[in-house]
Amino acid sequence: MAGQRMQVTDQDLQYFVNTIKSVSRYDFSEYSDKSLKRRLQKILEDYNLDLTSLLTNLRIDKDFLEKVVKEVTVNTTELFRDPPVWHLLRSRILPRFKNNKTINIWHAGCSTGQEVYSMMILLNEMEMLDRAKIFATDLNTDVLEAAKLGVYKYRFNLGYLDNFDKVIKQNPLNFEEYNDVPYEKYFDIDKVKDTITMKKFLTERPIFRKHDLVVDGNIFFAKFDLILCRNVIIYFNYTLQNKVFELFHNNLYPKGVLLLGMHETILGPWATRFERLGQAYIKK
Amino acid sequence: MKALANMKLTQRIQIVIIPLMVILFAMAGLILNQFSSSRTINNAIHEAFVYIDRLTDLANIVEQKTGPGLSANDIFELKGYFSKPAYQKTDYPALISKNGQYLIHVTRQGGRLPLQTIQDIKLQNAKEGYISYLDVTENKTEQRILVYKYYKPYNAYIAISLSPKETLEQVKVNRRAMILIVVISSLIIALMVYYILKPVSKGLMHLTVRLRQLAQGEIPSHANINDKSELGDLSQSLNRLIDGLKSTTEFARQIEQNHLDFEFKPMSKNDQLGLALLQMRESLKKAYLEEQKRKEEDNIRSWFNAGLAKFGDILRQNNNNLIILADNVIQNLVNYLDANQGGIFMLNDHDSDQYLELLSAFAFNRKKFIQKTIMLGEGLVGTCAVEKQTIYLKEIPQDYIAITSGLGEATPTALLLVPLKLEDKIFGVIEIASFNEFAPHQIEFVEKVGESIATTLNSVKNNLKTQELLEQSQQQREEMAAQEEEMRQNMEEMQATQEEMQRKNLELEIITNAINQSLISLSLTEDGFITDSNTVFQEMTGYSKSEVEGMLLENLINPDEREGFIQLWQTVVNGQSVNTTLHLLGNNNRERFMLTTLSPGFDSMGLLIKILLIGQDVTEAKKLEIMTQQQAKEIEQNLRKLKKEQDISAQRQREMETLLKALDQNCLVTIIEPDGLISYINNKNVEVLGDKKEDIENRYLQDIDYTAKNKPKEFERFWKALQNGKKQTREFSLTVSGKVKWVLENFTPIMDENGQLYKIINIGLDITENKQKEEELNSIIAQLKEQLKK
Repeated sequence: MAGQRMQVTDQDLQYFVNTIKSVSRYDFSEYSDKSLKRRLQKILEDYNLDLTSLLTNLRIDKDFLEKVVKEVTVNTTELFRDPPVWHLLRSRILPRFKNNKTINIWHAGCSTGQEVYSMMILLNEMEMLDRAKIFATDLNTDVLEAAKLGVYKYRFNLGYLDNFDKVIKQNPLNFEEYNDVPYEKYFDIDKVKDTITMKKFLTERPIFRKHDLVVDGNIFFAKFDLILCRNVIIYFNYTLQNKVFELFHNNLYPKGVLLLGMHETILGPWATRFERLGQAYIKK
Repeated sequence: MKALANMKLTQRIQIVIIPLMVILFAMAGLILNQFSSSRTINNAIHEAFVYIDRLTDLANIVEQKTGPGLSANDIFELKGYFSKPAYQKTDYPALISKNGQYLIHVTRQGGRLPLQTIQDIKLQNAKEGYISYLDVTENKTEQRILVYKYYKPYNAYIAISLSPKETLEQVKVNRRAMILIVVISSLIIALMVYYILKPVSKGLMHLTVRLRQLAQGEIPSHANINDKSELGDLSQSLNRLIDGLKSTTEFARQIEQNHLDFEFKPMSKNDQLGLALLQMRESLKKAYLEEQKRKEEDNIRSWFNAGLAKFGDILRQNNNNLIILADNVIQNLVNYLDANQGGIFMLNDHDSDQYLELLSAFAFNRKKFIQKTIMLGEGLVGTCAVEKQTIYLKEIPQDYIAITSGLGEATPTALLLVPLKLEDKIFGVIEIASFNEFAPHQIEFVEKVGESIATTLNSVKNNLKTQELLEQSQQQREEMAAQEEEMRQNMEEMQATQEEMQRKNLELEIITNAINQSLISLSLTEDGFITDSNTVFQEMTGYSKSEVEGMLLENLINPDEREGFIQLWQTVVNGQSVNTTLHLLGNNNRERFMLTTLSPGFDSMGLLIKILLIGQDVTEAKKLEIMTQQQAKEIEQNLRKLKKEQDISAQRQREMETLLKALDQNCLVTIIEPDGLISYINNKNVEVLGDKKEDIENRYLQDIDYTAKNKPKEFERFWKALQNGKKQTREFSLTVSGKVKWVLENFTPIMDENGQLYKIINIGLDITENKQKEEELNSIIAQLKEQLKK
């Protein structure tokens, strides 16, 4: 470990963003400055490089650039993360599509896929899975690969099971209700190998694609009933947030639902185009 | 002396004997010569006396004749007798006077004897005698002997002077003969010595050569001196010595060639060398046996050590894979021992119950995969493990191996079970079966190898355990790293979220402030109780904050409108925002109108938690509104008029619909809003051009029109003309499912009463079919125009 490194300045960040923009199609210019600065700081520390060397490497080494881009992205997710949101989905959102012939769902920024599998489990419990088309995208191909595998660490993720219980087995609106759904219905737990492995009928269902919210638009030639984009826009600045909201708005069916992260809200021009229901924003 | 030392014996004898002989003979001759000379001289003297006697006799005769005394007659008479030598040439007799004067002498008449001699004679004082004297003549001096006799009548001496030389003249001849004899006899002796000594010398030579050879360590041929002399004896002894040496040498040679059983008899009881050799042979025999024994031990030791080294190597290799290791060990061990079968059992103490597990089996050069487990104490293998002692069986019951032991099927004759133990701790058992018996050293070897195997098993087990632990810790480290990264990402997310929230909060704060300063803002419970209010509201109603909060909003509403409000409230509680104007009665019944937005507030679950009210005091406006009630009435009239017009337009609409229906059948009808939005296309469009309704409707003409896209200026002109109420016609062709279609488009702007553009209707005709339809179209257009102008 190199000693305490110089703090990354705005100028440094500018160089970094411009370099990446000039040699690739990635554009971080509208990412949240503060967050991106910390990521850059972390990368410089991890690789033990100064900014100049980092930028040089980014220019000459495509693989390195991909790696750095992957490290810039933050991939936190868990099974049934923020159970209240899943309660909302279960009780207020998904019932809206109960009579749809198909339900198109886009997980934008799916990370390692836990949210995708959570959604499919919930849909299955609500007997809606066979009608659902699940699309999942992320900027980071590594996490996409992990998502496709659907294998997670068991020991560090015991919380998953709690969340599962809270969302699937219990009903916060009715404490007497208890659905004893065995875990084995959806995933196998191997305590020796320390893995939670999703069942095949879940892993083979979603379409996973690499996608950059900044530049790629809608790559699926379809509109959506439900778009989940949780804990993504916190890394974007106001301008980019609005661009993304526009993208989502344009690609939602009327009355389609955009679900944001626990502390994410739509403010600004697009706020009026949605009706808010908790973390859910319903296209007017 | 040196020359003497180098001489041979014969030469020495010769050199001693020959001069000795010569000296002896010479001395004998000399003595003889001396004797004969003295006797000769004595004889001569004696003869001289005889001669003198005769002369005396003669003198007597003469005396008688002549008278007494010496007279001349006497001399004369006697002279004759004295004139001739007696016996020799010079021994002339003489008559010598007492004073030594030659009275008669042949030569010396008148001469004298030396004085000394006369004195000597006088000294002798004898009548007769002889004396040696020196006769001196003029030129020579000679030793002579004077024999004399005194003759009284004359008073003189009758004497004869003898010359010894002459006397001895005879003797000299003898002397020569004697010398000759001496020389000859010496020579003869020398020869004799030579011939007698020669064979001795030769024999000595003969022996000497052999002795010399012997001295040089060679073994000479036999000496062949067969006489009975000492040399013969010597020769025989020598030959015996040679024979003895030969046989001893042969013996030694046989020993050398390791023929230790060669027959050998010593030459005698005191044959030092032979006995020594015999002793040596015994020692050698003993040494040989010891050597044999040692060699055998060496062989065993080297077999032992080579084996240990070999197994050391084997154990060093592959010691990260127990199975391969065991395979190698047992295969090599069976081969090394020249045995037939073998197996290694390892004590499995992973679990609570200990048992022996067959790690590897080797039989008849073919590995047998038999998964076997044997309990401790079960069978021989189990017993061996429990007792921790080697078990060696020379008699094995038929089919023992197959049944009780762990190995294959044949029945060998010897069975060896060796525990693999290290410091009394058991790691397993080696079982080896053979058709040959095991030698003690082989058993010991297996035990030793067993220890090594145990050591290795121990270390392999430890290694595996260490490796396992290492892997575990490695895994844990990786997991920790992953966890750490996850934590970092979580942190990052939390931080980003917090920043986002701060930003949002700031924004909300600004908005809230703006609202609070300019607008009325209330928080209400689901039941309608006011929980929070701002100053704007307090100022408007004239109540203080404490008065307002806890109040039912309902109670502030003008009682006439309360019922409506309650219904409205229900709508809000059901989750809809509502805009309305509320008529409030404030403090002291002050009348206030409030333009109001009521919004339900939900939690993340979508449950209603409160209702927000945003309002604006519109009392002034409301008052103005009341004041312009009159105007409102007018508006009502206008509205009525409008209604009428609407009715008319509805009529038109219906008519138009009829027309459109007709159009629908034949024409491509498109209705365009003044801003270019295509609000309707008919099915003919779909039919002829293949455009789907949903692809065209609700889109803007300027976005999809071919001309607009490719000739924007022309389109602009075209569009402007339409805006100005000018009818536009254009033709275009396009290919639909491979067929060229010609379409004539008539864009007709429709103006409303105020001359504003109301709608544009595009009637397209498929002119590819025939011209008649075009004419038909023209008439329809004319009709339509008329209709619309109504």
